[in-house]
Amino acid sequence: MRSRGTTNSLGKPRKDTFAGVPAGVRRHKPDFMIVVYMGILMLIGLIVMYAIGPSRANVLNQAYGTDFYTGTYFFVKQSASLAIAVVAFILMAKIPYSLFFKHAGKILMVGFIACFLLLVFGNLFHVEAIAQCSLGACRWFSLGPFGSLQPAELLKFGMLLFLAGFLGLRYRQGLINDINKTLVPVGALMGAIMLFVIIFEKDMGTGIVMSLMVLAMLVATGMKWKIIASVVGVVVLLGVLMIVTSPHRMERITTFFKGDSTAVQINDENYHIKHAKIAIGTGGIMGVGIGNSVEATGYLPEAINDSIFAIMGETFGFVGLVAILLLFTALLMRILKVSDHMLDPSLRLLVVGIFTWLGAHVIINVAAMTGVFPLTGITLPLLSFGGSSMLFMAAALGLAFQLSRYSVHGSKLKEISYEDSSSGRGIGRSRDTRRRSSQRAA
Amino acid sequence: MKYELQSGSRSILIAGLLLFIIAVFIIRLFWLQVVQHDYYVGVASREQVRRLVVPADRGEIYSLDMGVPNKLVLNQTVYTVFADPQTVSQPDEIVKSLDEVAGGNTRDKLKDLLTAKNSRYQILATGLTDTQAEMLKDKGYAGIGFQKENQRVYPEGSLAAQTLGFVDGEGEGKYGIEGGMNSQLAGKDGLLQSVVDVSEVPLSIGGKNIKQPAEDGKDVVLTIDRNIQHEAEKALKKGMKKVGADEGSVVIMDPNSGQIMSMANYPTFNPSKYFKVKDAAAFNNPVISDPYEPGSDIKTLTMATGIDTGVASAKSTYVNTDHITVADRTISNASKGETGRITFQHALNWSLNTGFVTVLERMGGIEGKTGHATINQQAREVLYKYFHDKLRLGQLTGLPLAGESAGIMIGPNNHAYGSLPVRYSNVAFGQGMDITMVQVAAAFGAIINGGDYYTPSVVAGTIDNDTQAFNQKTVEPTEKKVIKKQSSRDVTKMIHEARQAFYASHDKKGYYVGGKTGTSQTLENGKYVDNQTIATYLGYGGSDLKNLNYVIMVRLSGKGKNLEGGKHAMPVFTDISNWMLDYLKLAPGDKNA
Repeated sequence: MRSRGTTNSLGKPRKDTFAGVPAGVRRHKPDFMIVVYMGILMLIGLIVMYAIGPSRANVLNQAYGTDFYTGTYFFVKQSASLAIAVVAFILMAKIPYSLFFKHAGKILMVGFIACFLLLVFGNLFHVEAIAQCSLGACRWFSLGPFGSLQPAELLKFGMLLFLAGFLGLRYRQGLINDINKTLVPVGALMGAIMLFVIIFEKDMGTGIVMSLMVLAMLVATGMKWKIIASVVGVVVLLGVLMIVTSPHRMERITTFFKGDSTAVQINDENYHIKHAKIAIGTGGIMGVGIGNSVEATGYLPEAINDSIFAIMGETFGFVGLVAILLLFTALLMRILKVSDHMLDPSLRLLVVGIFTWLGAHVIINVAAMTGVFPLTGITLPLLSFGGSSMLFMAAALGLAFQLSRYSVHGSKLKEISYEDSSSGRGIGRSRDTRRRSSQRAA
Repeated sequence: MKYELQSGSRSILIAGLLLFIIAVFIIRLFWLQVVQHDYYVGVASREQVRRLVVPADRGEIYSLDMGVPNKLVLNQTVYTVFADPQTVSQPDEIVKSLDEVAGGNTRDKLKDLLTAKNSRYQILATGLTDTQAEMLKDKGYAGIGFQKENQRVYPEGSLAAQTLGFVDGEGEGKYGIEGGMNSQLAGKDGLLQSVVDVSEVPLSIGGKNIKQPAEDGKDVVLTIDRNIQHEAEKALKKGMKKVGADEGSVVIMDPNSGQIMSMANYPTFNPSKYFKVKDAAAFNNPVISDPYEPGSDIKTLTMATGIDTGVASAKSTYVNTDHITVADRTISNASKGETGRITFQHALNWSLNTGFVTVLERMGGIEGKTGHATINQQAREVLYKYFHDKLRLGQLTGLPLAGESAGIMIGPNNHAYGSLPVRYSNVAFGQGMDITMVQVAAAFGAIINGGDYYTPSVVAGTIDNDTQAFNQKTVEPTEKKVIKKQSSRDVTKMIHEARQAFYASHDKKGYYVGGKTGTSQTLENGKYVDNQTIATYLGYGGSDLKNLNYVIMVRLSGKGKNLEGGKHAMPVFTDISNWMLDYLKLAPGDKNA
């Protein structure tokens, strides 16, 4: 569908504005490089899954005493996950983003309800057919043959949409630095989210990712550094409190600082880190080659999920890991550029959130695998085995891809941002018109 | 997309942060994968590579019973049951099953072992049979493992224990043939080095895999005859009990091959319970490891030398005064009163020391004065040549048994140990040198078999691992004609006469049996003691003079006991000798041969 131009820079709407196209922006070709980088990463993940799937299946068959897992089980499942992810990506790229903004509150509510139901079925009634729990942490809904779903991912998505809208509004209202009107509501929402994610689901990794997403969005709103610094201070303080009050997390931290000194008694944590480092270290410059990973035969825990980066290090070596990191970097830079060239502050914040979502996952996962950050147990996006994270990541990227159609040239942005910082009215109006136009279209 | 990031916007900051973190990661990866690569390969090796030793089957040991090999020491597969307490889930059931299936083999406090959660390896029971292990395996308990081991089994108990030796806990042969031929019996363990997965299943990944099959040990056939060994031990035990001896040894040898048919010793031990032996001295085989002064038995060898050098014969004579001086020493006879001009046969019968000092003196070409002997260098050299060089006294026989001792025979011109004439006059009647029973038996065999020296042997051959065929070693004399055939016949006759003179009635009629008593003084800390003598008897038996089938040497001793050859050791010889004549199914021979 061809874009036909919309409004002038000051946001005077034209009647024929296409639903979903931001005011003052010309719809153009999306950034196909996003698809290219994503595709390459997903393909690499699939190849590795093909190579280590049989040994993973073997380990599970031995552990459970069955022969349920066939050699191609993980490859087939990952292929299915990828197929679903691609569908999600296409849908998110096609469905007008305004629809998501419109229903952001509802999506967030559904996320909360899902988390609440998980809490009820898992922690309260222990219905194992519905809630998957381990060590008292219930994180997944069981979907029988379709695998499992992590409601925290939905909550994350809802939070992203809602805060992008909310902070965009406050930005247009010029109230970003108003503590009571901006920071307090955001804090309250985040408190509620963290209650579920960190306290009930004990998912520190996802909690950190969500916090970083919000932090990045706050930074992008142009909030005063002073306020951001105090926010970071409070969050870090709370984080430390979380860690100190949880023996499990405390152990991870102490394990991390003790490193792999031989004086340390082997426990699950340092065993995991030790074998991640062994896998990466033995890879050398060129790697041991596809299908030759020994660590994948049961030594390295979560070999196909959280530890896939280490297995790739063993398989593809330094060259391979640097290539993978550069692919992620390129993808992230593309997304960052999309955000940077968004006219509408809500859209900009939305893409910044997606950028941080992807970036935080990559950084936290790689940092844990290379032993520079404690283990938190989150996946490496697009590469790790697993449906939920793949589905939501692809959906988020689909949204970013859609928005890449509406980037504007830098000169225009400067003009607006000047306009914006002086009064905040310019863009505000454009948002109103957009809302009106989408209502008209519906 | 051709737009650049907005200069001055916070996006630049975020991008910078991202690039910085990625750069840190790349440096970190370079450190792990390039700089520390070898270190991690080493760590991985320790974690991932298993070296599985494929144990070689230890060779079994056979006896040779009337020419037929029979298993004397066997291998049995036994199982050690161990637990990984961290994965054990049913400790109570396991304890119950272990008690039911393998009650006698279990360790104490099984429950504690099974619940020692900080441990990953606890041995629960050892020595289980195949059947017992299968019964336990069928129960399928988690965290229980089985380790296969080969164990030595001794169907004959302590029979020939010192000859066999034992295999210790590390699989190392100790003492006897197990120690002496350990490397041949043990074979060579194979090696299976492999990269394994986390449950120790070998993987076909990487270049670290080695496959080297085990080479099984050789099955060895001893010359020991199980029945003769049994009889020797029985007779020895009986004889020792009768006279109150503490220590006793018997060696039985085929004089026509040097093959040792039996070596019996008391005290003894059970090789399957070697670890219960408190004094390791019991592991030694005194027949080969304990040199001593054999005493008057040696007069047979002196006589043989005298005959062979032509200075003495059964009928030639000397004047016996019951005393003879050598240098500043006076040597006396133990049996007194046979004085006057007597034959050397008479001197042998009565074991008169003066007679054999005289024989030695005559080897030096001297016809000395009555009651006085001059032992010159020539006499010493002749005796040394016969005793040490030809009959190999004081030399290792090279038996493939652990712990053989050479003993000492002082050379004819070695002045370091005092007066040589005195020493050699002592050697002539069996004192003044330390030699082993097996050396004496082999030397004795040579002088009665027609004059050929056979090195003693204890291994008759091997059993082929594949065909199970018995590959018998051929036996050749080590040195032919160490004495002339006629000398051998003459001295053999004299030894026969010496036995006939006192013990004719003890032997089965129609066979040719001869022997010589020995009562030797005991050295303690370099000095002879008065209250303890060693009783020895050295003899042979067979169909007739030219067909002698066995040499038997008996030695008995007891703390503070004066044991005599004739009175105490001789009956043991007689018991075994008469039994041997039956066992070997010998026909009575030609009396006139």
